[in-house]
Amino acid sequence: MAKQQGESGDRDLVVIVGCGRLGALLAGRLSQAGRRVVVIDRREEAFNLLPAEFSGFRVTGDAVEHEVLRAADLAKAGCLIAVTQKDTLNLMVAQVARLVFAVPRVLARVYDPRKEVFYQRFGIETVSPTELTADALVEAVGLG
Amino acid sequence: MNQGHRYPLFLRQRYRDILGYSALVGMLIGLLIALPAALVVFFPEEGALARVFLTTGLAVLGLSLAVRRLCRPLDGDSLSLDEGATVVVLAWLVAILAGAVPFRAAGLDWTRAIFEATSGWTTTGLSVVDVAAASPLILFFRSLMQLAGGAGLAILMLSALTGPPGVSLSTAEGRAEQLVPNVRQSARLVVLLYACYVAFGILALRLCGMSWFDAVNHAFCALSTGGFSTRPQSIGAWHSPAVEGVTILLMLLGMMNFLIGYALWRGRLRFVARNGEMRLQALLLPLLFLGLLGALTHPLETDLVHRARAALFQAVSALSTTGYATVDPREWSGPGWALLLVAMLIGGGAGSTAGGLKLYRVHALARGLLWQVRALPAPRGLVNQPTLWVGEQRRVLGDGHFRQMGLYAFLYLGAWLAGGCALTAYGHPLAESLFEFASSLGTVGLSVGLTSAAAPDGQLWIQIGGMILGRLEFFVVFAGLLKLARDLPLVLSVQANT
Repeated sequence: MAKQQGESGDRDLVVIVGCGRLGALLAGRLSQAGRRVVVIDRREEAFNLLPAEFSGFRVTGDAVEHEVLRAADLAKAGCLIAVTQKDTLNLMVAQVARLVFAVPRVLARVYDPRKEVFYQRFGIETVSPTELTADALVEAVGLG
Repeated sequence: MNQGHRYPLFLRQRYRDILGYSALVGMLIGLLIALPAALVVFFPEEGALARVFLTTGLAVLGLSLAVRRLCRPLDGDSLSLDEGATVVVLAWLVAILAGAVPFRAAGLDWTRAIFEATSGWTTTGLSVVDVAAASPLILFFRSLMQLAGGAGLAILMLSALTGPPGVSLSTAEGRAEQLVPNVRQSARLVVLLYACYVAFGILALRLCGMSWFDAVNHAFCALSTGGFSTRPQSIGAWHSPAVEGVTILLMLLGMMNFLIGYALWRGRLRFVARNGEMRLQALLLPLLFLGLLGALTHPLETDLVHRARAALFQAVSALSTTGYATVDPREWSGPGWALLLVAMLIGGGAGSTAGGLKLYRVHALARGLLWQVRALPAPRGLVNQPTLWVGEQRRVLGDGHFRQMGLYAFLYLGAWLAGGCALTAYGHPLAESLFEFASSLGTVGLSVGLTSAAAPDGQLWIQIGGMILGRLEFFVVFAGLLKLARDLPLVLSVQANT
């Protein structure tokens, strides 16, 4: 029974790949909201960006390696968010999470709007800051 | 508004948060102090003392509620590490002072009352109370303090009430290791695990022939690696192998990192087998046992079975920093003392209820030392770093880790020497002084007779300092007090101006 409890409990585990400004902010907010959070980054120093609200685990390593993803307990995660600086890396990690680890919900940041279509074909939800900024600016100019 | 006032105003807001969260811990402390009053149901003749517990507890609770109303932390405001340290230091001061009141009412003077309260909350177990004559309410309160202090006030608060988001409080109280990647869920799991241990301990001790009251007290104090007993001869009073066996098991559970307890619970044996702390413990305990077996000099204990029982019990009791005794420590020969001393200095697992330098640091430093020696004849260009298994992950031990652990070990051993030498000023021999202070600093509670109600005030205060510094791991106390000393004049200056 204990095992079952642990596993259903882990469904609120969120794995964040990339601890830059966005990854760190996200990790802090999700922690504060009471979710279990694991952050992965290649560089140990990146974790210095994490805010005081963060209470999850840090995993140092390259997220393209299975060993690293396993260390982050990805197989039990309910959600993966890929927010590294590189679109291609985000796509790859998101795909691995989807296909190999069968993570129910996978989200990624994409800078290049033209690439979004690939993500969607793999069942990966995307957020594109480029597009969001463009939308906001168009609206601002239009209303201004 | 004057430019120069901006920082003090900002600080004032931060101190509202700090006081607000301290008051939250204060509420918990108030409840804990009021709880023993409920025992008046079983001991109706203790009505007067029960009233003291109830009024003290309610006073702390009321005061905390008032402070919390005044300084309600802004929702979701988190604390930085040094602010967390300040909260922990303030909360522990309140806990110790308020916890001393019932002892004062039971007839101790303030120094001795504060000593007893400190020994309780820090799970040390050195005592100046006459256990044979003490009221059962006092005995239960001592055990309850150890139970709470073992888990950590911050962990209890985070699991039961709310608290700041983030890890500042649990880290400041030396309970940084988490079972799951969320501090509140982790705190709940730790308390759940702890409660299971306690329930098991009470039942097991009861089945071994203790009364319910003794079983509850000893389960509390063995699991928190505290070591208060309800009898002057400690566990030795029962002369029962079963009681000793169960107590050994409880002490081992108490000194085990909660992470490992959680892994065992989930059946992850591989994790346990490659954990450095468990390995070091598996090496140290047999060595201690064999060493102590040869070092018992009591003329009556010539029977090998008796000696083995005493040696095993004492090895676990010293390494787990519990401090229960089945034979008087004065009956060990010189090497026996030395072994107990080393065990007390090393201590139990990190993230457990134990004290001392902690197995984790000793293991990592030993690994580093071996690595350093091996690297001496290696080619100059060789890149190689020692690694450790932390949870499921292999972690590389960098220079930063070694600096931190090395400095801590230096500080710890330095403080031990300084405190031990200071005790000699009260007319005790050096060996006894060093033993007794190692026992205070490591929150152990084994005594060679220096700690008693007749001990001079100055000696007791040195030991009080040792217990607090040892339990909160030095830096937190320094950080908290330095911050208070630096900020308070500024904060108060604004209050005076506005």
